Amino acid sequence: MSAPSAPSAPSAETVVAPVEPGERLGKWSGKSVPRTEDRRLLKGQGEFTDDVWMHRQGYAHFARSPHGHAKILSIDTSRALSLDGVHAVLTGEEAKEMCEVPFFQIAPEPAGRLEEWPLAVDKVRYHGDAVAVVLAESRDVARDAAELVEVEYEPLPVVVDTVAAADPDAPLLHDEAGTNVAWHGVFDYGDIDWALENADHVVKIDRLHFHRFSSTPLECNAAVVNWDPGTGVVDVKSNNQMPMFASMVIGPTLGVASNKLQFASQDIGGAFGNKIGSYPQIAALALLSRKAGRPAKWTEYRQEHMLTAGHGNERTFLDIEVPVLKDGTILGFKVRAFDDAGAYLHYEPLGAVIWSQVTPGCYRLKHIQVDYTETLTNKCPTIPNRGYSRLQHLWLIERIVDTVARELDFDPVEVRKQNYVQPDDYPYETPSGCVYDSGDLPRSLEVALELIDVKGWRARQRELGTGSGKRIGIGIGSTLDSGTNNFGQARIINPDLPFSGNGEAAYVKLDLYGEINVDIGTTPQGQGHETTAGQVVADVLGVEPSAVNVSAGFDQRHNTYVAFSGTYASQFAVTGLGAVLGGAEMLRREIVTLAAFALEADEDEIEVEGGACHVRGDPERAIPFIGIANLAFSNNAVLTPELRERISLNCRYVYTPPFTVPDPETKTGELTLTYASQIHAAAVEIDEETGRLEILDYVAVDDCGRVINPQIVEGQVQGAAALGIGAALYEAFEYDADGLLQQSSFYDYHALTALDMPMMKYADIESPSPFTPNGAKGMGEGGGAPLSTLCSAIQDALGDGDALVADSHNPWFRIHELLGGGADGAPRAVRVESR
Amino acid sequence: MSDAGMVHPITVTINGERYARTVQARKLLVHFIRDELALKGTHIGCDTGNCGACSIIVNGKLIKSCMMLAVQADGATIETIEGLEAEGELTPVQRAFHEHHGLQCGYCTPGMVMSATYLLRGNPDPSEEEIRRAIRGNICRCTGYVNIVRSVKAAAGAGEPAAADRAEASR
Amino acid sequence: MLLASVDYTRPATVPEALEALASREGAAPLAGGQSLVNVLKNRVASVELLVDISRLEELRSIEASEGSLEIGACVTYDEIDRSPEIRAGHEIVSRVASHIEDQQIRNRGTIGGNCCLSDPTNNLPPLLIALGATMNIQSGSGLRQVAADEFFRGYFLTAVEPGEILRSISIPALGEGAGAGYSTLSVASDSKAIVRAAALVRGNGTIDEARVALAVVGPVPIRHSGMEEALRGGAATADAAREAAEAIGEDLEPIADAHGSTEYRRQMARVVARRAVDEAIARGGENG
Repeated sequence: MSAPSAPSAPSAETVVAPVEPGERLGKWSGKSVPRTEDRRLLKGQGEFTDDVWMHRQGYAHFARSPHGHAKILSIDTSRALSLDGVHAVLTGEEAKEMCEVPFFQIAPEPAGRLEEWPLAVDKVRYHGDAVAVVLAESRDVARDAAELVEVEYEPLPVVVDTVAAADPDAPLLHDEAGTNVAWHGVFDYGDIDWALENADHVVKIDRLHFHRFSSTPLECNAAVVNWDPGTGVVDVKSNNQMPMFASMVIGPTLGVASNKLQFASQDIGGAFGNKIGSYPQIAALALLSRKAGRPAKWTEYRQEHMLTAGHGNERTFLDIEVPVLKDGTILGFKVRAFDDAGAYLHYEPLGAVIWSQVTPGCYRLKHIQVDYTETLTNKCPTIPNRGYSRLQHLWLIERIVDTVARELDFDPVEVRKQNYVQPDDYPYETPSGCVYDSGDLPRSLEVALELIDVKGWRARQRELGTGSGKRIGIGIGSTLDSGTNNFGQARIINPDLPFSGNGEAAYVKLDLYGEINVDIGTTPQGQGHETTAGQVVADVLGVEPSAVNVSAGFDQRHNTYVAFSGTYASQFAVTGLGAVLGGAEMLRREIVTLAAFALEADEDEIEVEGGACHVRGDPERAIPFIGIANLAFSNNAVLTPELRERISLNCRYVYTPPFTVPDPETKTGELTLTYASQIHAAAVEIDEETGRLEILDYVAVDDCGRVINPQIVEGQVQGAAALGIGAALYEAFEYDADGLLQQSSFYDYHALTALDMPMMKYADIESPSPFTPNGAKGMGEGGGAPLSTLCSAIQDALGDGDALVADSHNPWFRIHELLGGGADGAPRAVRVESR
Repeated sequence: MSDAGMVHPITVTINGERYARTVQARKLLVHFIRDELALKGTHIGCDTGNCGACSIIVNGKLIKSCMMLAVQADGATIETIEGLEAEGELTPVQRAFHEHHGLQCGYCTPGMVMSATYLLRGNPDPSEEEIRRAIRGNICRCTGYVNIVRSVKAAAGAGEPAAADRAEASR
Repeated sequence: MLLASVDYTRPATVPEALEALASREGAAPLAGGQSLVNVLKNRVASVELLVDISRLEELRSIEASEGSLEIGACVTYDEIDRSPEIRAGHEIVSRVASHIEDQQIRNRGTIGGNCCLSDPTNNLPPLLIALGATMNIQSGSGLRQVAADEFFRGYFLTAVEPGEILRSISIPALGEGAGAGYSTLSVASDSKAIVRAAALVRGNGTIDEARVALAVVGPVPIRHSGMEEALRGGAATADAAREAAEAIGEDLEPIADAHGSTEYRRQMARVVARRAVDEAIARGGENG
């Protein structure tokens, strides 16, 4: 084992690489190749959706609800229409009439009966719900006109509390569903009753709350949609990050076949899951375009984004019980979880099962019972947000582990190391049937603690003592980044859904002049797919990455795709690059075949190198790629009929992970293929007078298997860390009792700045995945480790007091309150029963 | 009601090119640059002057173009991201962002590069604190600023060297 | 976001500006626009005519004489930060200006705008109150002066009447044995203010005069006479400051919001007031 990289080193240094040589990794894979994408982006030449311009386009502006919940009594669009420059106004009722069916629902009955249309019909269900959309000749006139759409509302009672929403007497959001419960089920793994009866201690925590926030990509949602009256083609230039899912949802609603619903995007200004959710707006724009006979261009305003683009899942955990043995072994836990889906189900209730990809977190917990309820509330619909549904669960587990350590007087480091899945446990099957592929969690933690000099901070903590006005706290967050979904997990939510598996497609081609051209089904948002795909192909075909042309962005007209195409859920390194690798290898075989034919040699004598093929040991007997291309494309009469038939130099490969269908009865199965880990640690200082917290030192240790491009991986870790730190301390979406959002701009929602983010440290451990073609694991989301880490550090700083860090969001006033012993009059939130 | 309001003739020089147009008073400078002049490198991320994606340099001063009316820029000399490179070459700031992975999605990048450029014009050797303060008005949601700070340090000549393999792979 | 339709004029002189402002209801002066443009985007104010005063040289000068300052209303935060005259006599004014938002906003935003668009979280108002500044308000009929602690009247409301503009702000010399201090508790490192305080303390060992201004504890920044009285005549020490800060209490009724309850803000007002006074005492010998 070599030493961890120096704290200030800018790039990842491999700390541990204990697996067989990755023969697929060649000259370029594994290197920090600077990104192909950068040049255009640095010069302001990126093409983002608002940069797209269509002939005769109009600008769209949505009219939105100022109420949290209200009946729509009437809508009068006449004043809006009378404004000069207004092309059309579309209301919810009209939109519904133009649609074939409501949006497809993932939820089973009764919630599956709920009807969602492109615009609100009959009533609005959250602050910002869209009631109409205007098309006008300019952005300004569109806004002027939207303000003139007169809607008469009758306010209805609102429900904004997740738990209260499940009460049968709570205000009902969707009459047709007859319930606010989007999904309920019990995940019962092992034997929690046995564990609680036989444990030496049972630690009980009344309530933990994981708050609402989102990644708020800097580019808001946007789309330019044209419903071509001549061909019936609906052209969608947008920054939606999962276009095939959007297509499957809105195609049947609009009554448009897949070949006529054409998605395309080039550059996307960040997405983080949030841009999966723009399909209702895209559907509304399609109808608006159809009505107006013009392209409809819409660029979301930031306020609109905050109100309506989708928030991360808020989750409340009640009645937590944790059986623990004398020696510190944690047997499992029992919890009632209430997840808040907001007013409509966008991608939900998939979150109700996604968390179970990481049921025991990083630990060997065997007995776990989660009684899970997802409710509809008068709040913005949730949408996958970086770390989707797992970060809430991983935070719960880290709060449990810290609380167990504190209550039972275990060292928080030792109790983690003891309960972690151990290096020789892999492949490790969790209670829910998922298989953790590889890793070294104890070593990751050790490296993290060394890098922040935890001993030094502990000494400083003791030295400060009381009276200094400052407290030091040290925190740990242990998280997993499960990557490459098995969509079969949807069946655990709804057994009738015919979904399973996953996949991604790529075309790798030798083109007319011997160029290597690659198209992928992904929609990158900064992850550097052009670069890493180029690295992989360069290795297979023996060229420099600069000789590989990877198409920028996604265009349904020429890119290849499958239903799962897109960029989400930490899977590109496996599915995307798996497809690219497969395609490149197919192409290489075809090139070798043609070279062997042309050079009159055996295929196993052919070397592929530097854009040409030659016979081993005889560099003079060579044919360049252009010669190979010539044979296939423009000189094919010289080939044998068999070769003409078989060789196309257009190689499409679909990578599919080796999944089986999960079992909805037992709620078990292989839900994800790979498990990257991120172990974070931090030292913080808290000002006792104000509760203000400063991060003194911060480290992330990442293990995502074989790394294709270290600097891209490091960048992903840094970015995920920043969003987590922001969420832990500054960022929250909160609703008042009337259902009005309190944070709808970057004034109120403080996105962290360069002054708020420490120069964090980073180290990399490489435990290659035995399950993937290249040993890589999906990564990028992170598991929300900073939320766990900072809560752990705050708890540590509190010392021996009674107060429990029970919320994932800790602004200064809340830390101040904790320092004072917690909220006034609150009962002690933790109890221990020992026998 | 109509989209009235007076229109005002304005003349601006952007990246060395002179533009004479008429604008409504309510037109924000950023919309004028993007929609009227089709210079798409200047971005919009927040609408409230918080994010800095629309940062440009007006009469030598770094400003947010969503916080200024186009009519207020009458007579001004303006630099946008499109005007930085000379003869196709990236500037040292742009090059440093490329070499140190100081950008991911690239949406905040034009504004970030303008802020870094402005900083280094007035302060060629900034401390890390000065760099952070100089880009405090530019929000990035992808990088956590770590590699951006490194990029600006590198552009100032005081940065850490790029990893050896990056140089080797440099294209 | 986009503004509603509005007219615009850019007068060449202050009298022309005053004339334009008086010409119709709904006329408003526009300087750097770093607050006003946002207000207009939200379409919450009914402004019909923007009178652009940002280029009026008469409003852009910094005059220093014998320690006192007169700063034109359209001087930007960045100019205040970099002004050698201000740094020499009133370092704290430069320092506070240098921490307003960010470089872009400091390059456009003006001291006049920071005062006239009276948002309780603004940086300069409590400092100007503590320093005993005078606001020079110009109308067609002449110049009138209003003390800073009587200038702020409410959210976006000040002593500037329709047809008037704030011309400049006069800040007296700190004088012998005086020091000033400033303290903010903000969201994150230096974002939106949760509570602010500024203080001026004069005396030699014993406090002869104390001015303590608090902000974000109500719609406008205020002087806290209770704390000032508690300080006056006492020792210029940290202990005395701590004790005097106890005078801040139920008399304040700050708003509760996502950044803190009423009670938290009250407690924090005590903390930042004490810190500002501590700094003022420490700087007493250094002339601010």
